[in-house]
Amino acid sequence: MATVIQIIFGLIAALIVGAAVMVVTVRNVIHAALWLIACFFGVGALYLLLEAEFLAVVQVLVYVGAISILILFAIMLTRQVTGEGVRQLVGGWRLWLTAAISALLFAVAIVPTVISHSWNVPAPPAPPGTPEPLAGVAELGRAFVYEFLLQFQVAGVLLTVALIGAIVIAFEERARRRRVLTLAEEHELRKRLAHPPPVEAPAGEPAPAPRATPISEGEVQQ
Amino acid sequence: MTVKIERGQIVTVERGKRTARRLPGMGLLDGMAVVWKHWAGSFRKNQGFNDIHGVFTYEYPEERPKLPEAYRNMPILLYDDETSHELCTSCFQCERICPPQVIHMTQAKDPATGKPVPAVAEFVIEYDACMSCGFCAEVCPFDAIKMDHEFELSTADHQKLTVFKEQLNRPISYYERIAPTMWAEVRDGAMKKLQGNIKRRPDVIGMAPNLAEKIAARRRELEAAAAAATAPAAPAAAPAEGRKLTPEEKAAKLAAIKAANAAKKAGDTVEPPVAPAGAAPADEKAARLAAIRAKNAARKGEAPDAPPVVAGEPAGEAPPADEKAARLAAIRAKNAARKAAEGSDGAPVEANVAATEPAAAPPAAGAATSAAEAATAPADEKAARLAAIRAKNAARKAAGGGSDAAAPTTTGNVDSGGPGASDDAALS
Amino acid sequence: MYDIVNGLINTTFGWNWPGWVIALISHLLVTTLLFAIAPFQMLFLTYYERRAIARMQDRIGPNRVGPAGLLQPIADGVKMFTKEDIVPAAADRWVHFLAPCVVVAPTMLMFAVLPWGPGMVPVDLNVGLLFFFAISSISAVGLLMAGLASSNKFALLGAMRAVAQMVSYEIPAVLSLLAVVMLTGTLSIVQLIEAQAGLFISSADVPGVPDLGLGWFIFTPVGLLAFIVFFIAALAEGERTPFDIPEADSEIVAGYMTEYSGMKFGLFYLAQYVLNFLLCAIAAVIFFGGWQGPGVGWLYDRAISPANPDGNWVFNLLAGFLGVFYLLAKTYAFFFVMVWLRGAFPRLRVDQLMDFGWKFLIPLTLVNIVSAAIWVALLRWGPEQGITFTQNWTPILRWGVAFAVTLAVNIVAYIALARIFAASQAEQGRIDLDEYRDTLTATLR
Repeated sequence: MATVIQIIFGLIAALIVGAAVMVVTVRNVIHAALWLIACFFGVGALYLLLEAEFLAVVQVLVYVGAISILILFAIMLTRQVTGEGVRQLVGGWRLWLTAAISALLFAVAIVPTVISHSWNVPAPPAPPGTPEPLAGVAELGRAFVYEFLLQFQVAGVLLTVALIGAIVIAFEERARRRRVLTLAEEHELRKRLAHPPPVEAPAGEPAPAPRATPISEGEVQQ
Repeated sequence: MTVKIERGQIVTVERGKRTARRLPGMGLLDGMAVVWKHWAGSFRKNQGFNDIHGVFTYEYPEERPKLPEAYRNMPILLYDDETSHELCTSCFQCERICPPQVIHMTQAKDPATGKPVPAVAEFVIEYDACMSCGFCAEVCPFDAIKMDHEFELSTADHQKLTVFKEQLNRPISYYERIAPTMWAEVRDGAMKKLQGNIKRRPDVIGMAPNLAEKIAARRRELEAAAAAATAPAAPAAAPAEGRKLTPEEKAAKLAAIKAANAAKKAGDTVEPPVAPAGAAPADEKAARLAAIRAKNAARKGEAPDAPPVVAGEPAGEAPPADEKAARLAAIRAKNAARKAAEGSDGAPVEANVAATEPAAAPPAAGAATSAAEAATAPADEKAARLAAIRAKNAARKAAGGGSDAAAPTTTGNVDSGGPGASDDAALS
Repeated sequence: MYDIVNGLINTTFGWNWPGWVIALISHLLVTTLLFAIAPFQMLFLTYYERRAIARMQDRIGPNRVGPAGLLQPIADGVKMFTKEDIVPAAADRWVHFLAPCVVVAPTMLMFAVLPWGPGMVPVDLNVGLLFFFAISSISAVGLLMAGLASSNKFALLGAMRAVAQMVSYEIPAVLSLLAVVMLTGTLSIVQLIEAQAGLFISSADVPGVPDLGLGWFIFTPVGLLAFIVFFIAALAEGERTPFDIPEADSEIVAGYMTEYSGMKFGLFYLAQYVLNFLLCAIAAVIFFGGWQGPGVGWLYDRAISPANPDGNWVFNLLAGFLGVFYLLAKTYAFFFVMVWLRGAFPRLRVDQLMDFGWKFLIPLTLVNIVSAAIWVALLRWGPEQGITFTQNWTPILRWGVAFAVTLAVNIVAYIALARIFAASQAEQGRIDLDEYRDTLTATLR
């Protein structure tokens, strides 16, 4: 059983690493984004292998379902997606310098972790009665509302506010634009011009800006 | 209410009273209710077009709608059930009015006299190009052509859509079944005209060719009558068989073309010198005429009488315009045969060419005879037929003088001008 | 399935195979079964839809191939298989090839958590509901791939529309389900179904309610509103007619499917109908009790189950059949409603779709979550959570009060939001007209 898991882990890891390499090497931006999605998926599978179902599902939901879509949308708005004949920003020795700096920064982050970690140590036997650490949804939820309550609340409020903000923006007036009206709309407009509705000016709202060219009925009749 | 504005007009529809304060979304449910009514009502079949909830579908191959009488698809020809005579007299009205020009016909001729008979020899409709306008049926004075209700005409064979008389023929009872009232309106007139026409139809001409046994019976009847009445010369009617085979028709056409070529050559040679009208009869012309007359005689069953006597008669000479036209469209069978016919009457032309090219004559003669032979056949090659008929007519005219050469009455474009014309030519 | 395979191999034959082999075998069996079922569902649904929509349009529909036209989808499938597979010359070959697979695979994966009957679920994930929607969001990637790789403007437009629509309508769908999750306190689909036993009132809310398998969430105000929102969102996710903007054939040919032919097109088609089936099924599961119905609970109590190991297998069969029957009946009923809507309503415009989603559905679901909280507070919470005034109420009184309060909240919210939405849309139209007034005056002058 353990061997099977090892093999599966190896496959998934190969997928992740291979996909990640492809992301930075392919010239076509769309392909890079798609490889990135594959990479995300591999990470999700890895979570599943670690029996963190909730995390795996969230990984898929958030990264594959949302963020990658965002990336692809952004790519769609760019002009050149194939990457053919695109000049690289840096070249020659500058490229190597950039690579070295990036590697250095990554090493700063990863090396202390690798060194300080003690590998292959079995988990200490938990005292009876302790729940599995942060695996299931219930434990995760419990951790959120007890241990990390403040952070959770802040994040939750932030997201809710963002959602409500989106709704508020949606309610706002659309950008002014000119278009050809449909016949029905033109008819409606003429009706309204011929019989202007009583102007309502609620106390709370500012009166609408006066029109640049007020029209009288006579003009419309012509 | 319709409102006109510059860009068009707007139809505003009053949608009934709007219930003012309803729960939002109820309008959607109203719309769904309409669809539900249609769904629920669709399990029964609509009886008429006033029903709006129900299925209108006819499940076609099993279930066929009753077509209205005036429904029209493709034209058909009618024949009488009792006498099995066709109503068509080949008056050419339908051929003339047909907008896509898909109707073609040839008139039947009395094989004995060569006179046209109010019957149709062959009738062709190209169903593939027919547009089902029904003009032919409307214009037909004899109610012979009617519009059929049959619409399952699809076929993998394109040739089948050129439909001949045998396939076009339907009994009157058939039409009476699909359109009883429409037939009742015209029946009396049509039958009266038909009776009149039958009297003018000799032998079995005008009988529907698909009723072979009826024709045979009629023929036996006629033979018996003839045998009882007169001479033993009667059996000579044998060659007047109702049908010719295609190789013969082909041969006729080919011969006609050959004749045309010969005639064309004749015309070429003739044009510079003005043809001396009334020149001496050439011997090969005489031979040809003799052949024709022999042929006719054989058909008629009468003895050939004095070919050389009439051979020299200067029948109507060809006008220059016809010569030219003939030269231009030499290959076409119709003109070709006409030329052949002219050659046979226009003695000077042939006489001149005979001096230069004696070899051209025998084929021309053969053409004329074989074309004449084809005259009785109900061939579908209309041109060949027409040409042959004319050749025969001309030959007979040349032989028997202008007296009995009754010019074809309905075909207006015959150029051999009859007795008057030949007289004029003689005077000039 | 694990139990059956285990019983067969280890008990009957006594081979003593390790647990993971048996798990593998049982999972493979279930997967094969599902992969056989899914295309047939699709085939049946196409036939079903065509017949139903035909009836609504006063027609008969396909009735020639096979009895009553039942083999029509087979004929269509054969046609699809024999069509030529055309890849545009300018297409991105590999992405073009992969896109249908990426669209189909998630819909198949979604079957993994769908319970068919009592004890008949391929995998009882404790985050089943979340899994369902997380996986369904992957197909958006496939659509985008199809649109981008086809190098066709219609395909790209269709893909953008499809993805924009799917992403926006996922929010109301998930938020409306969140209310239900709050009612039950679980994300497991199996437990969601088990919570819907009872008769009108869920036996989880009021103990002592007779279990007729009718304690569906649709009978609670929270569930009703959530169902309405969810169903509308499901229509948009499944690209059903009022929201079939991505493949609006009168505008953009066939949307992202424009450049596909043959079996690749067939795969898109398959994915679409399987997704529709799954959305209908999940709506039936979450709001209409899934396999719950009169008799199933009683039968399953007497069957072999983890809780009752010495039951009779006949009851297993009976309960399974009845449960599957109930589920499929509900699912097809929902699909009928989808077809019905298709028959009734015209297509929305893109901006109308977005307005409707963002201005109406999402606020409604937010209110619904509040009312779900009220429901839970009144019914479940006691002094230990700080709710003291319900302490002495009987369960039925609690239920009644919760019902009345949430109903009032939801109705008020519904009407108010509808008014606001209508006013906003009217305002939108007014602005358009005012915009045009100047132009019109100028032309008139």
